[in-house]
Amino acid sequence: MNPARPFAEAVAVRDGRVVAVGPLAELVTWGDHTLDETFADHVLLPGFVEAHSHAMVGGMWTMPYVGYFDRVAPDGGHWPGCKSIDEVLDRLRAAAAELDDPDDTLVAWGLDPIYFDADDRLLAEHLDRVSDTRPIFVYHVSGHLATVNTVLLAAEGIDRHTPTPGVSRRADGEPDGELQEPAAMSLAKVAFGKVRAAFGTDQVAWNYAYEARNAGHTTITDLGTTQLYDPEQLDRWRRVTSDPDYPARVMVAAGPGIGGSGDHDEYARLAVDLRDNDTTGDKLHFGIVKIILDGSIQGFTARISWPHYYSAPDEHPGNGLWLMDPSTIADVVGAYHRAGLTVHCHCNGDEASEVFISAVEKALEEHPRWNHRHTVQHCQLTTKAQYRRMARLGMAANIFSNHIFYWGDQHRDITVGPERAAGMDACATALREGVSFSFHSDTPVTPMGHLHVAWCAVNRRTASGQVLGPQEAIPVEAALQAATLGGAYQIKMDHLVGSIEAGKFADFAVLDDDPLTVDPISLKDIGVWGTVLGGVPQPSSVSA
Amino acid sequence: MVSTSSAVPVTVIGGYLGAGKTTLLNHLLASATSRLAVLVNDFGEINIDAGLIESHDGETITLANGCICCSMVDGLAAALESVLALQPQPERLVIEASGVADPGTVAGFCHAPGLLLDAVIVVIDVETVRAKVADAYVGDMVAAQLRAADIVIVNKIDLVDESATAEVVTWLDGYAPDALKLPTRQSVVAPELLFGHGSTDRGDQTAPAADQRFESWTWSSDEPLERSVVEGLMGRVPDDIWRLKGIVRLTDDDRRAWVLQRVGRRWSLRPIARSAAEVVTSELVAIGRPGAVPDGWFADLLGQPSSSEDL
Repeated sequence: MNPARPFAEAVAVRDGRVVAVGPLAELVTWGDHTLDETFADHVLLPGFVEAHSHAMVGGMWTMPYVGYFDRVAPDGGHWPGCKSIDEVLDRLRAAAAELDDPDDTLVAWGLDPIYFDADDRLLAEHLDRVSDTRPIFVYHVSGHLATVNTVLLAAEGIDRHTPTPGVSRRADGEPDGELQEPAAMSLAKVAFGKVRAAFGTDQVAWNYAYEARNAGHTTITDLGTTQLYDPEQLDRWRRVTSDPDYPARVMVAAGPGIGGSGDHDEYARLAVDLRDNDTTGDKLHFGIVKIILDGSIQGFTARISWPHYYSAPDEHPGNGLWLMDPSTIADVVGAYHRAGLTVHCHCNGDEASEVFISAVEKALEEHPRWNHRHTVQHCQLTTKAQYRRMARLGMAANIFSNHIFYWGDQHRDITVGPERAAGMDACATALREGVSFSFHSDTPVTPMGHLHVAWCAVNRRTASGQVLGPQEAIPVEAALQAATLGGAYQIKMDHLVGSIEAGKFADFAVLDDDPLTVDPISLKDIGVWGTVLGGVPQPSSVSA
Repeated sequence: MVSTSSAVPVTVIGGYLGAGKTTLLNHLLASATSRLAVLVNDFGEINIDAGLIESHDGETITLANGCICCSMVDGLAAALESVLALQPQPERLVIEASGVADPGTVAGFCHAPGLLLDAVIVVIDVETVRAKVADAYVGDMVAAQLRAADIVIVNKIDLVDESATAEVVTWLDGYAPDALKLPTRQSVVAPELLFGHGSTDRGDQTAPAADQRFESWTWSSDEPLERSVVEGLMGRVPDDIWRLKGIVRLTDDDRRAWVLQRVGRRWSLRPIARSAAEVVTSELVAIGRPGAVPDGWFADLLGQPSSSEDL
């Protein structure tokens, strides 16, 4: 991704940085050297940069996975997808057998029943076949549902009289085991306590970096919303990233939290202080602020402009949810903008992106500032007119291209309808209108791996194999740019990472094949040996 | 006051930014005569006199009058859990929903064991509410807030003339036909109306406005009630009874006591954890417009005499 040297025979590295890149004969003129041919049969790319993901995935992997799609754990373990309720139950039985305490709650994650046969819902009656003595709690991949067994229902006092909305019921009025939305899910207190405890350990941060390394990523972002204001979280990041063995650079973004209240000027001062004065080292970075405007498209909670949703459930109110008051966004963005920070704003729906872009425009009118790189995150339904405004305003886009594969069929048939689905996650529009862009996995929502995200952006294939809007497909070269410099640019690390270029960190993705010569439909299948981070090889834990 | 000691009654206060939620909370804190726990999104807007603060420990502020304020930085579920863990437990919980939240969704969290949802109160600015409901970005959100309300506090009536307030109250029937509507200025409202208890002890609360003058009636009986009699009563409550609540024993359930709650025209009858054996006396309290309940009305419908208390 170095335009002066797009292809090279070798790279010279010293003290963790690139001395030069080019033909071997040219590099040796730098003087004494050791020739390392470990990767003679591999292809080195700039290490991938993931600008929207969450460290919590590392906590998820402390629990068994029961999702539909195959997934690879940070330790390299293969977890084949569970394609039916029986396969889910088998997975849970195996996991239960590994728990020592017979009363310990079994918590599993990733259940994705939308691809099961039409009437197959996982219910308490199924989980009861796994255990009638141990509480069981199964998270659905959407994060909006959980299924629990009868033991858990009884232990938490959830019965036919529980008035909490979202406690799904059988015809006879008794709970059927499905807990819908956070209010109902929060009734499972013991299970939640167990999950919270799992998310509080250093292992979460290590697992996160392992998942990244296994997919060729060298720089990752923890796009949290409150972590900086939690001293324990901050200490954790300082502790793990100063360990020489920690295999990734982390941009730790923070923000005012869900709901976006509080003293934004004070938060801004804290973020600026960390960005400018934190001395942890080369693997810990600050300076990005994250805010959340709306919900998700598949959950019908994204704010979508008229004509709104294509085919929403009967009880749906018509549009999604604001997680912050749109009339306050300009003030919030303004506070961070004036402080010199870069604001990344979660906008799944186009009404949300409209509000954010307008807030940035107002901030710029009141406080002109160059090179801010404020970024629309997810950017799934951002319109062409909005991209044109973003280009003029100097904004960047981070596009959730993995949605095309994981939910593209649902978006076409249910959430937004065929036309808008064909135009969503519009990488080609960003490219054409001159908006600097990257794309992302939002792990744990989808697995981290820019080869897969790039495959989505290039091929636009849904899970059912159909092509969703070929006009928005981009060439492989553009996808590789988005996966590297595109991500580095919007987190303001493009002077350090994102290309193989003299002076930058020697961070590489080590691939088994050349993404520019394989058939583009095979991009996601290219083997990843691992990475090189600061000149040190970091082999993947995944066995071939 | 009717005791539901096994569960903390919860009031959810919602409403759009600037309607007067925080002012209402400040009144409630300043005039509290019981140990109130208040959950807020952040402490910034709560106006707590520094002299009243007994201690400030991270996400919790304890006041000299026994009330506490907790922030919800870790989410509502976690905040509720920490409130329930407090010793002694607060006597009442008030949750301030954010200006963009659907208070109905927040109320969904308040049926957890140990909690008893009392009412959803939505504060509106009488001058701007119709424009907010027509707003392209937030209109659906403000309308959803109104639909979730058991009580609508029609605030800032001092800024408009009387006919404008009356118009808004009528207009509200399109969104919250069954809710109790309380016109107020500066969010001043009698806690009895918000919380539904008949206590006359109002602390230093300002006297209620003319349209909030009320009377309360109590009824009690040592005999369990037929469920159908209670349900029948709910169909015959005059609109001038604004709140009706109590704890009753039912003839078809000798294990548990049941809580009856009615706000405006919405009502519910739910079992609580207390065993029926503990509840010797069934007791109901009604609050409404003075004279709303004719003498002997309760006794005619339920048996046993009632008593009234003018306020």
